[in-house]
Amino acid sequence: MSFLTESVHALGLPQASDTQVAEPEVRETPETDLPWIVLVWNDPINLMSYVSFVFQKLFGYSKEKADLLMIDVHEKGRAVVSTGTKERAEIDVFRLHEHGLWATMQKDS
Amino acid sequence: MRKRKKAGPVEALGDGVFRINLTEDERTTLLGFVDQLEQVLSAEHSDPRLRRLFPTAYHENPDLDEEYQGYMRDELRQSRAASIATVRDVLQSPETLTEAQLYAFMMVLNSLRLVLGTLLGVSEDEDTDDIDDDDPTFGQAQLYGYLGWLLEWTVDTLSNG
Repeated sequence: MSFLTESVHALGLPQASDTQVAEPEVRETPETDLPWIVLVWNDPINLMSYVSFVFQKLFGYSKEKADLLMIDVHEKGRAVVSTGTKERAEIDVFRLHEHGLWATMQKDS
Repeated sequence: MRKRKKAGPVEALGDGVFRINLTEDERTTLLGFVDQLEQVLSAEHSDPRLRRLFPTAYHENPDLDEEYQGYMRDELRQSRAASIATVRDVLQSPETLTEAQLYAFMMVLNSLRLVLGTLLGVSEDEDTDDIDDDDPTFGQAQLYGYLGWLLEWTVDTLSNG
């Protein structure tokens, strides 16, 4: 049995670039002082309990805060889970990707 | 909500020690999926099954993203390979687990669900519960449900154990 190696065709998966409709307009502002924000996007696969648990583990958030963030992601389509320098944001994005969450980063606007 | 049974598939024994209560058949089956996950991870960058495992980081800036993927992608691949190696040991051994081992088990279960969910085209409007038993993807959908159940127990146990 080969459940994961079936041929894939026309998956039509959402890609980050497909979601730009829902994105905030990023204004052309001087780049210097703006922090980077890490966003987690809603996805239909990850379990809600898992997402909340990952937020607690990675960011040290309380269960209450992690649950609220997770619900934000679920209901609003995305939520800012951390902010900071570009380097910090890249590490956070990496760790979120490691956990299978759909995270992206951008300059705050 | 699922009712909590006395001994679920994942159990906290206290003092950071855990046990997975799976039959030999389940272990063998899971080992097979872990092998397949490993194969999927070695697929071409553009393979759609990998899309959820290696997402875009800079969704507004393809140049920055390419740069990011250039130095992070291999690291992500190695991290997944390490979790897979841990889980393979765990599934082949009747011993108890450390928290780190159970955590790796959780990550691998989630990776499997991501690949399978992607293959099944799981979306907000389409639930795998709706798939008929004569559908060619029925087996995959059943497995997807099983992995979700096992992952839920794992997360719950790690949260409370």
